Amino acid sequence: MALKENGLHKLSGFPKNRMGKILGYDNDSLAMPNKIIEMGLLPETSFRILYQAPFSGPMYVEFGNEKSRIALREEEGDFIIVEELN
Amino acid sequence: MQDIQRKQVLLVGNPNVGKSTVFNALCNKKQKTGNYAGVTVASHSGYYTYKNEEVEVVDLPGSYSIYPSSEDEAIFSKFVIDHQQDYAGVIYILEALSLKRGLLLFQQIQDLGVPMILVVNQVDQAEKRGITIDVEKFSEALGIKIIRTNAKEQIGINDIKEAVLHNTFVKAEKQTFETPNEHKDFIHKVAAHKGIDNEYKAWLSLSLGTDLGKISSVVEQLNEPDSKSLVPKRLQVQETVRRYQHADTILSDVISKKPQFKELLTEKLDRVLVHKFWGYVVFMMILLVIFQSVFFLAEYPMNWIDSLFAWLSAFTGEHLPEGPINSLISKGIVPGIGGIVIFAPQIGILLYFLYLLEDSGYMARVVFLMDRILRPFGLNGKSIVPLVSGTACAIPAVISTRNIENLKERLLTILVTPFMTCSARLPVYSIIIGLIISDDTVLGIKYKALVLMGMYLLGFVVALLSAAVLNKFIKNKGKTYLVMDLPTYKKPLFAYDLKMVLGKVWDFITGAGKIIFIVSIIIWFLSYFGPKQSSDQWVATNVELDHSYLAKMGRGIEPVISPLGYDWKMGVGILTSFVAREVFVGTMSTLYSLEDDAPEVKVIDKMRRDVKPNGEKVFSFATGVSVLLFYAFAMQCISTLAVVYRETKSWKWTAFQVAMMTGLAYFVSMLAYQILK
Repeated sequence: MALKENGLHKLSGFPKNRMGKILGYDNDSLAMPNKIIEMGLLPETSFRILYQAPFSGPMYVEFGNEKSRIALREEEGDFIIVEELN
Repeated sequence: MQDIQRKQVLLVGNPNVGKSTVFNALCNKKQKTGNYAGVTVASHSGYYTYKNEEVEVVDLPGSYSIYPSSEDEAIFSKFVIDHQQDYAGVIYILEALSLKRGLLLFQQIQDLGVPMILVVNQVDQAEKRGITIDVEKFSEALGIKIIRTNAKEQIGINDIKEAVLHNTFVKAEKQTFETPNEHKDFIHKVAAHKGIDNEYKAWLSLSLGTDLGKISSVVEQLNEPDSKSLVPKRLQVQETVRRYQHADTILSDVISKKPQFKELLTEKLDRVLVHKFWGYVVFMMILLVIFQSVFFLAEYPMNWIDSLFAWLSAFTGEHLPEGPINSLISKGIVPGIGGIVIFAPQIGILLYFLYLLEDSGYMARVVFLMDRILRPFGLNGKSIVPLVSGTACAIPAVISTRNIENLKERLLTILVTPFMTCSARLPVYSIIIGLIISDDTVLGIKYKALVLMGMYLLGFVVALLSAAVLNKFIKNKGKTYLVMDLPTYKKPLFAYDLKMVLGKVWDFITGAGKIIFIVSIIIWFLSYFGPKQSSDQWVATNVELDHSYLAKMGRGIEPVISPLGYDWKMGVGILTSFVAREVFVGTMSTLYSLEDDAPEVKVIDKMRRDVKPNGEKVFSFATGVSVLLFYAFAMQCISTLAVVYRETKSWKWTAFQVAMMTGLAYFVSMLAYQILK
């Protein structure tokens, strides 16, 4: 909730087909898989959620200048703090 | 004496950057495919000769980071670190469309002190997207010569060979990763203490958190105050972020981008292929096409093989001298091996489709679609690949679980994959269904075909259900997650995949052929001889089958198998099947052709006519169903067991799998027989 009040969102639950930008991570417990960072989902990266599999399945996210595509679950998206771009 | 020293080079890069295309273009003629029976570290290696120099290219599994998050990445990292003395250098493949991601691993390997050649593949693809790469500047910034390739069109392949010939592998002059200041002193202490000459390796001994090949972790030996600030996972994050920042500065000068670009084929295709509804429809259609081809397309080559072995059997029967050897060869070995070779087309077609799907990039979409559906069963979206390949053969399927990061999900997938109806079950199913199901049709579809379909479905359902049950009992190890690259679609390497498939099929035939050959001889031997019948004999030779050692052994196990409705011959068939399921057919043909009262009658008709002492048919409906269920569930494949042991590194789980599957098989078959008889 605190996140939303500051105009911040988590990647999971971010509206589809809108441009957003990654601000940072919610990873104090170090529970976030490092693979998220290794694959290039770093702060300042722009992204767009293109699709989501049914029943809250994985999200299909396009990101970065190179428009890479990645699949990740909502649970992973919960670690990533984002904001909307206009 | 060997005049030419063979030079070994490694082919390294992220997954889906066109590594296998480059590999194929380099080693066009000489390759050996990964042999899954032995312990092979590298998935495969190939050779080429260029200007009198022979070069071995080791194609390692793709990886994103030196820090492994799955088994195949661990295999990769260990190989790069442990064999540093053995190879001349690394050919690193970057994909023009994902330079930044690729630079992470590139610089990690560079920092290990490994000499490298850098290849940028598919520059044309990037240009299509409006991205221009200043290769000169890029090369200057990295301090390494860059070879541009388009491996599909063979462009740049000779440049790679030339570079390998002249050893233009470059070692980094200084470490690209700036070790965080707060840890510098400590790193130097560790390096001095352990005698490590490379600063990055000293860093790795802290940041890895566990041992990785020759780099052993020092974290456990730290004092309390040290270890507080040195959490391996935090160090890894620190390193990765720094490297990305570094890559950003390099690339900002190198890449220029036009605002507009053409939509890629991938974007158009994915609108349908990962669609909430149509995505699943397409996946089902693809599965249907595959199975349709497996059963109907394969029919033609199967008929040719059938006639060939029938001819061979008749030919050997006629031309070999009369006697036991004649019957062994013409009625035991030849039909036994024929019974296996006939399934080669089906296995080949199935494998070929799977390779093409994998190659094209479609499999990642299937993982995306299936993840949510498989999770309630304790499986991961990535489990769908082993489950589908399990319908060809459990061995490559079990190996393909290596990219599942979570150990529990991987273990569950390994444990249930052998329930999938593999091609070795087909010969058994065909013969039993042929014996107990009528030729009638319903709505134009043969009952036989329906039953066979039902067996496939049964395997899949039982795999899922047993995963759900085991999920409750197996403790979770580590977090489960799905973070997966969705590669651009690529045209599959049709010819290369075909070559791989033919290799695998040949392995299957020779492997199974050898076993069946040996088993046939043993069975023939045990059935030709028997316990002595008078005191002056050592053993009795040329006894009636009913008095042979084999019959004695079969009768010995009869109490165990009779509740399932089997007589001693089927008992022998099942026993030999524990080597491999398909052996059942060979054993049955050997056993039934040994009864030489009516040599001209076909084996299957002899089986149909065979009766128990009480006058009941041996292959009644109840027994048939019981056999089908037994083969559907029992763990009867030594090669799979060996692979399961290798992949789980645990006797406990291997033994558990045998007990679980075979126990279930025994129970269900007994239940079915007792109800139906």
